Amino acid sequence: MIRFLGSRLLRAAITIVMVVTFAFVVLRLSGDPAQIIMGADAPPEAVDAFRAAWGLDRPVWIQYFHYFGAILQGDLGRSMRDGRDAIVLVAERIPATLALTLPALAIKVGLGIPAGITAALHRNSFIDRAVMMLAVAGFTVPSFVLGLLLVLVFAVQLGWLPSGGQDSWRHAILPIITLGIGGAAVLARFTRSAMLEVLGQPYIRTASAKGVPWRAVVWGHALPNAAIPTVTIVGFMVGSLIAGAVVVESVFSWPGVGRLLVVAVANRDLAVVQCILLLVAMTMVTSNLIVDLLYGLLDPRLRNQPKRAAGIA
Amino acid sequence: MTPMLEAKGLVRRYAMRRGLMGRSVEVRAVDGVSLSVERGRTLGLVGESGCGKSTTGRLVLGLEAPDAGSVAFQDKPMPPAGTPAWRALRSRMQMVFQDPLGALDRRLPIGAQVQEPLDIHAIGEAKDRPARAIEALRAVGLRPDQAARYPHELSGGQRQRAVLARALATEPALLVCDEPISALDVSIQAQVMNLLMEQQERLGLGILFISHDLRAVRQVSHRVAVMYLGTIVEEGEPDAVLHDPAHPYAQALVSAIPHPGRTGNRIVLQGDPPNPADRPTGCAFHPRCPVATAFCAREAPVLKPRNSDGRLVACHVAQGDVAPAVTQRAA
Amino acid sequence: MSDMTLPAIADAPPRAKRALPPPMVLFGLVWLTLMLLTAVLADVISPYAYTALDLRNRLAPPAFMGGTWLHPLGTDELGRDVLARLIYSIRMSLLIAFGATIIGALIGTTLGFLAAHFRGFVEQVVLALVDFSASLPFLILALAVLAFFGNSMVLFICLLGLHAWERYARIARGLAISAGSQGYAAAVRQLGASPWRIYGRHVLPNIASTLIVSMTLAFPEIILLESGLSFLGLGVQPPSTSLGSMVGYGREYLTRAPWILLSPALTIVLTTLSVSLIGDWLRDRLDPTLR
Repeated sequence: MIRFLGSRLLRAAITIVMVVTFAFVVLRLSGDPAQIIMGADAPPEAVDAFRAAWGLDRPVWIQYFHYFGAILQGDLGRSMRDGRDAIVLVAERIPATLALTLPALAIKVGLGIPAGITAALHRNSFIDRAVMMLAVAGFTVPSFVLGLLLVLVFAVQLGWLPSGGQDSWRHAILPIITLGIGGAAVLARFTRSAMLEVLGQPYIRTASAKGVPWRAVVWGHALPNAAIPTVTIVGFMVGSLIAGAVVVESVFSWPGVGRLLVVAVANRDLAVVQCILLLVAMTMVTSNLIVDLLYGLLDPRLRNQPKRAAGIA
Repeated sequence: MTPMLEAKGLVRRYAMRRGLMGRSVEVRAVDGVSLSVERGRTLGLVGESGCGKSTTGRLVLGLEAPDAGSVAFQDKPMPPAGTPAWRALRSRMQMVFQDPLGALDRRLPIGAQVQEPLDIHAIGEAKDRPARAIEALRAVGLRPDQAARYPHELSGGQRQRAVLARALATEPALLVCDEPISALDVSIQAQVMNLLMEQQERLGLGILFISHDLRAVRQVSHRVAVMYLGTIVEEGEPDAVLHDPAHPYAQALVSAIPHPGRTGNRIVLQGDPPNPADRPTGCAFHPRCPVATAFCAREAPVLKPRNSDGRLVACHVAQGDVAPAVTQRAA
Repeated sequence: MSDMTLPAIADAPPRAKRALPPPMVLFGLVWLTLMLLTAVLADVISPYAYTALDLRNRLAPPAFMGGTWLHPLGTDELGRDVLARLIYSIRMSLLIAFGATIIGALIGTTLGFLAAHFRGFVEQVVLALVDFSASLPFLILALAVLAFFGNSMVLFICLLGLHAWERYARIARGLAISAGSQGYAAAVRQLGASPWRIYGRHVLPNIASTLIVSMTLAFPEIILLESGLSFLGLGVQPPSTSLGSMVGYGREYLTRAPWILLSPALTIVLTTLSVSLIGDWLRDRLDPTLR
């Protein structure tokens, strides 16, 4: 188990290093960072001073280590728009985003998983078909379309809820529903297919053939086994709590991390973009790590072998 | 005259890892095998699964590089796998596999696959090749109209014939058959073996016939080598080796062949099947050997001619160097 | 295919029984054909140029909402014909989605084959890249690249092409390794075939159906990504137009002229729905091993 943990930590670290390297390489490839950050019309002396200050006149690999060192110390540069630390700017927005993504996650799990299980247990029934129809619809309707439709109905036509902004809890309802429904559809679909696969296994048939009540078969055998693939998807959703609302925040003018990212990209505010990128990578890697550990708890077979061997996911 | 194919002191080690971060354990799949195949002759290589006989076949063909030792084909050293010289040599040496369905591409008709080696090695005019492929099919007893068939539309025996036709299309000098009949029905096995011998006569093929089936080996071979845990423990004429085996392992193998009218004298091997990752000291066979002595656990025997009749055998007891231990588990 | 009149055998691929696909799939096929025709024939069927202004008829409602047949789907804030813009948007979105899907399949399959062929270090690098791209939400990655490099059409298509490359790489690597370790690929290799012949003539045709299914599953995702990025104003830039950017610009007139965004939004939904249905159906038929 310790070895399992060690290898997972190593892989997580490698991923983070790769993200940092990716940011560094892309930053260098995209042009002269001094010029980009100082602006095209900056005086040449100022650009040279910037280069010297940031060590940009030194060999690339030394720059790379300096860059790495700075990131390890939490120094992610300053926003070129208002000169504040990028990390502070991003941190300020996190609560607003979590105010949307956490309730949405509750909807996804609370709605998606039971719907998927119910559909699988009553295969080909009316419930199954309805769940699957909704799931396919939830998957194919992009979140901005769903969000705008909700605005059109509930804000414009009915006037029940505000269409955008962040003044009261009522403003959060439509974005949360938009986020939650789409995710619930994906989760329902996954849970259903995971359940169906497990229900087709010989040990389920054996259990029910030897007289175990169907309820006990489902709770004791089917659900724990179907939980394994489902946990992966939920883990991915947890990992995207920070940045999973990019589009929806834009639709509803919600001042969260996603909105900040879109504005930063449009303004090419590289320090902020890079900061968000690293933050997302950290969250993602952390939640992947937790998922791996849960895997180990749920499936003893996986404890001593790499996840890849478990099949093409 | 030197033999067509000569392998000397082949060693192949694999690093086997236990777990993701585990220390790697060295496995010697083949541990000092020397053999030779002559034109128009068959060398049978027998042994239980995992003894390294398939790896030996792959080393002999140059599909894998040995960690020590050398392979020479027609007096020239084997070029490294994947090089143009190695690829060109494929028209001279070919292989027949255990699973003919797996060895054939299910998306292409048989005729195209038999024609493929001719295309690869640019043999003959392009327009003549389909006819040559059909000729090759006919030579192994398939009908010309079966050239348009897909592998799944043929029976197991027909598929193995098609594989053989493909292997023989370039008229190679050497054929390595790795368990060519063990996936086939018993009734088909004899047909395929007869076909092999016919083709050997026609083309003067040298064959390395790898099998765990002693009777099949005896039927097709001119010489037989018995392998145990990566080494050859006995080698000689098939009738001699299989009638009167010298090595205790070979004796056990031969006694395992069901024989009408014989009762009671089967040697049942004791102990665990061999694990190449955990090779015993001295003679690799001594933990299972009914006649092993303390000396066998210390000193590894070498393959050398026996004094009495010149049979090649690697055993202290059979060589008469030590007296057989009195066994308490004789049947 | 070339297997004309051979008798069907039990384990033959089920080509012989060609039943009509289910009605939903049929609908998907019809809709997709319609979209493809629209994209190809955009110049012929479009009533106006998509940039043509009609300032006297700004924000005119569509015919079925009390407007005139002059502009069947209405006009936008500059009096541009919504139908014409929709037609050209379909062309643009499909072009991007096709281009990106093909690029992704090419990159992924190539890297997967390289990993399977060379093993060792190359394989480890490819697998590390697979892990890397599987562990980041693609939208964030795409936004970062757009921020660093700015936007251009070619970059945008290539960027979307990177979406899902790792799936093809996984499939190609896994299947090529299993074919190479004991199957037909090993047999062909020892016939003396070059790597080009092994992978091009044997491995690729054998795994093509799996790859095609993956492509149909990735295609709607790419349409959604493209429209999402364009909706955010970070994808297709004016004066070009795509389905997503139409929705994005139409958003400002949501109260006064909802028709501007409703028709492209409906088109996105129906197109992704169609391709998903076709993809699921193909997967069940061709390759039940894929999830």
